[in-house]
Amino acid sequence: MSMEPIRSLQELAQKVISKGTLTRVAVACGEDQNTLGALDRASQEGFVKAILLGDKQRIQKLLDSEGLDPQAFEIVHTDSAQQAVTEAVRMVRDDEADVLMKGLIGTDKFLKAVLDKEKGLLPPKAVMSYVCALELPKYRKLLFISDTAVLIDPDLEQKMAMISYSVRMAQRFGIEKPKVALISATEKVGAAMPATMDYALLSKMGERNQLTDCIIDGPLDIFLACDPQSLLIKGVDTPIEGDADVLIFPNLESANSFYKGLMLFADGELAGLIQGTIKPVVVMSRSESAASKYYCLALSCLMAE
Amino acid sequence: MPITKLEQMFDYLAERPKKKLVAAYANDSHTIVAVHEAVKRGIIDGILIGDESIMRQRCSDHEIDPDTFTMIHEPVDTLAATMACELINKGEGDFLMKGLLSTDKYMRAILNKEKGLMNPGAILSHVTVVEPLNYHKLLIIGDVAIIPLPDLNQKVAITNYLIKTAKFLGIEKPKVALLAASEQTLPKIPSSADAAIIAKMAQRGQISGATIEGPLGFDLIVDKESAEIKGVHSEVCGDADCILFPNIEAGNTFYKTATKLMKTELGAVVMGARVPCVLSSRGDSEQTKLYSIALAAMLTQKG
Repeated sequence: MSMEPIRSLQELAQKVISKGTLTRVAVACGEDQNTLGALDRASQEGFVKAILLGDKQRIQKLLDSEGLDPQAFEIVHTDSAQQAVTEAVRMVRDDEADVLMKGLIGTDKFLKAVLDKEKGLLPPKAVMSYVCALELPKYRKLLFISDTAVLIDPDLEQKMAMISYSVRMAQRFGIEKPKVALISATEKVGAAMPATMDYALLSKMGERNQLTDCIIDGPLDIFLACDPQSLLIKGVDTPIEGDADVLIFPNLESANSFYKGLMLFADGELAGLIQGTIKPVVVMSRSESAASKYYCLALSCLMAE
Repeated sequence: MPITKLEQMFDYLAERPKKKLVAAYANDSHTIVAVHEAVKRGIIDGILIGDESIMRQRCSDHEIDPDTFTMIHEPVDTLAATMACELINKGEGDFLMKGLLSTDKYMRAILNKEKGLMNPGAILSHVTVVEPLNYHKLLIIGDVAIIPLPDLNQKVAITNYLIKTAKFLGIEKPKVALLAASEQTLPKIPSSADAAIIAKMAQRGQISGATIEGPLGFDLIVDKESAEIKGVHSEVCGDADCILFPNIEAGNTFYKTATKLMKTELGAVVMGARVPCVLSSRGDSEQTKLYSIALAAMLTQKG
């Protein structure tokens, strides 16, 4: 099932639109100005059916003030935020919805419902993580990065989960064997930077065919991972060839600063998604652009198949 | 031309200026006979430090002319060892050999901060060169005798000693195998994890002058076909010059199995001090002692 790789977020949206399937998105606490715009655009374009759970009156009032058509949304009244998120998670579990999305509810409360052992969306022992597809005017393709939001100081096992989620997402974008670069400040291995020790193990596992669905190497710095010219100058022998599809970061601070820096100073655009759950879970931050919110939704629809 | 048999060391050394061996507390027949044999083969000059009357007695026991050696009288074992180190520090000897004193006292003399043979921060380790009957070359292995459970840093140091030894034996780019139970990278097994890390360090040029592969099971190290079957395509497999053992039990059992059950010959030397140090035990054969002396002499040649 080879397909032409999706190279931009615009192409991602087109792909989702052109498939013509309607993805049902359950929004926990839909009385949320932050997300309504993206939901409306996606439903207008025919790839999302939004189910807003929350205070019916407030939702209707908000739709009205935003000038949105209430007919475009299904509204389910709940008496409390807790009830809204519990019901939204239940709908996703019971296949009444395909994607869960956070509305006007605290992230803690929202994630608690997602992580609930009996009624949540995370399989036992699964690692929850976060992967972003990042579009940069100066890079020739999308860059998948992890973990920008959930895992603070991932251990080896969590890094393996981050790799597996990122690879799976890249494959959904049509990249059959993604090139995974394990990012550090340098290409050298040493105990002073503990992540580089994990990276040595992970890249050896790749070499030994213990990780078969990707090409993996590290430690590498971002230059060596993404710039063939730097690679040539430094003479580092790596199968990534300065052409990385996936960047795995050693910790949350580095990944988070990387993407935020690019958004602010280099016109980056992104779509991100919680990983590890049985179905896609969308959490958008208030600070994201309208376009990013829309792309997050499109990404969740691509991954919901 | 690389040396592929231990015996070839003698041909190599015979053509070069003789090196000076200093034997610490050479009061025993074993030491005197081995040093005498090396002198007779023309590869070294011997300085024996010990109780002169006893050393002369041992010589006459074995019909050896005591004038073959330079003898220095020092009847106390620890003082003899200290004096041996001092001679070397003064440039009057090229390498050290243990006589009748305990390994403990011998090592303490080498490790002594003021009068010993160590540079600050250096790691002392033991390198053995074995000549297996059914392998096409020598195998240089470590550490089978000094460091019981090397940590990553010590493993890197041992790896560098193996490489250095291989180069002195004429192997331009040694192939180094990092031993584990299998070729799989198993993060929870320290031998496997460390091997993967060291192999990566080598790939990144942090260990140079050698081709390094690991983790590898023993079968993959000495048998190319086993490696191919398991899908490991490395020039090290089936053609390794050096093996890094993950701990002393594995290395020690390997060399003792090879010598006791398979008549394998070997030479061994302690590295990490300013000069090579021979640490033969009384259990070693005359041949092993002679090879160890020759190996130490090889390691004092100009690189």
